[in-house]
Amino acid sequence: MDELIRLDALGAGGPYHSRSRLTITELTGTPVAELSLVPRLFVQRTMAALREARTLPAHERATALARSGRLFATGVVDGIPAEEYQHIVSRVSGMPITVVRSATAGIGRRAGEAYRTTRYARPQGAVDDWRDPLTRNGQAVWTRRGDVFAVHAAGNHPGVHTLWLEALALGYRVAVRPSRREPFTPHRLITALRESGFGDDQVVLLPTDYAVADDVIRDADLAMVYGGEEVVNKYGNDVRVLPQGPGRSKILLTGHDWESHLGTLVDSVSAFGGTACVNTTAVFVEGDPAPVAEAVAERLSAIPSLPPEDDGAVLPVQPVADAHAIEKYLLDHVNGATPVLGGDGVVDDLGDGSAVLRPAVFRVDRPDAPQTGIELSFPCVWFAPWSRADGVEPLRNTLVLTAITDDDGLVDHLVEDPSIRNVYLGDTPTYLMPPWVPHDSYLGEFLMRTKGVIRT
Amino acid sequence: MSTDPILDCPLDQVPEGPEFIEAAMRWHFSPETGSPFWLERAKTLGFDPREDVRTFEDLRRFPNVANELRDVRVEDLIPRGYGPDADVIGVYESGGTTGPPKRVVLLRDWLERLMHRTQQGLQERGYPESGHWLALGPTGPHVFGELVRWQAARRGGIRFTVDMDPRWVKRCIAEGRGDEAERYAEHLIDQSTYILETQDVRVLVTTPPLLTRLARRSALVELINAKVAAISWGGAHMDPDTRYLLRTEVFPNVKLYGTYGSTMILGGLAERVVPPEEDLVIFDAFSPYIMFSVVDQETGEAVRYGDRGQVVMHHVSKSFLLPNNLERDLATSVAPPPGQLGDSVADVGPLPTFENETVIEGVY
Repeated sequence: MDELIRLDALGAGGPYHSRSRLTITELTGTPVAELSLVPRLFVQRTMAALREARTLPAHERATALARSGRLFATGVVDGIPAEEYQHIVSRVSGMPITVVRSATAGIGRRAGEAYRTTRYARPQGAVDDWRDPLTRNGQAVWTRRGDVFAVHAAGNHPGVHTLWLEALALGYRVAVRPSRREPFTPHRLITALRESGFGDDQVVLLPTDYAVADDVIRDADLAMVYGGEEVVNKYGNDVRVLPQGPGRSKILLTGHDWESHLGTLVDSVSAFGGTACVNTTAVFVEGDPAPVAEAVAERLSAIPSLPPEDDGAVLPVQPVADAHAIEKYLLDHVNGATPVLGGDGVVDDLGDGSAVLRPAVFRVDRPDAPQTGIELSFPCVWFAPWSRADGVEPLRNTLVLTAITDDDGLVDHLVEDPSIRNVYLGDTPTYLMPPWVPHDSYLGEFLMRTKGVIRT
Repeated sequence: MSTDPILDCPLDQVPEGPEFIEAAMRWHFSPETGSPFWLERAKTLGFDPREDVRTFEDLRRFPNVANELRDVRVEDLIPRGYGPDADVIGVYESGGTTGPPKRVVLLRDWLERLMHRTQQGLQERGYPESGHWLALGPTGPHVFGELVRWQAARRGGIRFTVDMDPRWVKRCIAEGRGDEAERYAEHLIDQSTYILETQDVRVLVTTPPLLTRLARRSALVELINAKVAAISWGGAHMDPDTRYLLRTEVFPNVKLYGTYGSTMILGGLAERVVPPEEDLVIFDAFSPYIMFSVVDQETGEAVRYGDRGQVVMHHVSKSFLLPNNLERDLATSVAPPPGQLGDSVADVGPLPTFENETVIEGVY
């Protein structure tokens, strides 16, 4: 790359090339882009402009979203064709190119569906417009809880940028603070949205220094924040903020037939390079987990180490130093667990300054072992024994729980538990996310409320 | 021993560097004229400043004694040469970011010299000839508000104040009570609104964070654009993008000038006047009294012009000596105007940090 890609902030007055910029490097440390960082004053003024802006009519929003999806996924945006964008994301984030390609297509598709998918969240008793004839006898009207929605985005997977498209579809003006790890996707998506009908003052990209990040949230009506436990602790009590915290997705395996589910187990751990919140990080086995863990480890160990832009790549790649830091964190937290794969380390140096993070499989000896809550951004899974006497407790605090069981009574408990956000049954991988199935509730439940309207 | 006339040279003259430095060393390190603090400190310097320090470069031999100013009796900071009736304007303290505050003594002859320079600067920058000043910033033990008082008085105006206690703000933030700092800052803006609404304020002096906060209130922005002719900012960094936005979008009709200095060097200096398209804030020294060096953070060696490094400040006057005070600012070293000792500094600011800390666990 001869010239650095210029990632401007996308403010209410158009792109802003700031004086303060952050160099984005690819895995080997080579600079690839310069991200404009905006100061607090810029954030304040942009958020105020979002508040003043008008909202497009619903049909125009739906049309613009669909158009932007096609442009994002297949077009040339800001001079960058889709294939080049995918290559850059892969080389910067270390995510396998095939994952980036399917994420690109997924974002395109979800943009086209964004208006439709918001409908799933609308209560059956609610209508969209006070003019609806049903309001004559009194009816709920589905209305926005505010006008301006802010997102502190994550950079682990481009797909995190599908969710907030629903806020745009619902008529919110949206501000996205990108992740330093991967600002390319939101920059491309917001540029595409603007080229497709959304105004500069309706959807903005605000890359900021950490110190200013909270301002984006403060000046919005509602916000969604990606992060770990610390984000949940920080914003958990703020009713304006929807934290997207740890996934800690799990699989429960009961009965004796685990061999036929091996593929689902392996895929749930390793899909998307193991970087998503819906990747399985703990497996609970009724009976002896050892043979299951070994079989999974055997399959995972066969995955080759390849640079991320290779079509055959499955595993994530990081700069060597970062990879070693993750490895150290893992090994520091083994804490008596039995290594099945990766106990000697997970870093496979590619020799160019980057390294593959190879899968890790560990066994713990009881279902409430704290290691089962460790979630790292590569295929890393903890196997624990489980019996019916252990019940639901070890399976709690989970984004997606796949339960392979015949015990309907147990399933009742799992579905009833408020800390388990999705329950998939049978041979279903944890990473499935069809648009009609809520991810962590429907976003619309957070963004909207019903309002009574009676016309006499 | 009498005072070397070069130390009392007329306000509109600039003394020769080496000659001035030599005279200052004789003054501060002669038993008859030096301060008890420096005379005592000289015993452990390992060199004799009167012999060994003759140029600006030689000042590097001094250790940074700023930390010792936390405990020293203020009487011991006044050079004996002033006699028993030194004209003390006041004692001022550092912000207290890193422990107990450091103290300095402001004497009248230095204030006169600094004010003369400041008035020249205001004239050059076209500050209004009359009207009142509002200092929205630290007063109390901090020299910031005091210097604004003198500036306003010299131009025939009244200084209004809204006091900010920076130590309380820092403490709130350090203790994770950001919401309290937030409330306090809003309280300050509320108070300044009362003054701006009712009084003929022509010059606003404040800090960049408070200026950014003022800009949140569109009614206040309109009021300032209508009334205020000039805004001086100081006491904290202003990033170049904020400056650009303030000048072009928020306060397009108001002069905006930065000041860089510190309590420890007993003053601040206005930014160099450059054509607007240059888009760079440069601070020149008040040579040979207040000077800057830009040094490599690791080695302490001077960096080349155009390179960034950490700022070292020096104060050398009849009233006070503090060489090699290492500040926590980074700046770009800039070639000085002819005759200036030390470097000029540009683009003063902290290191940018994007994330709070490296978080490994989790997928985000």
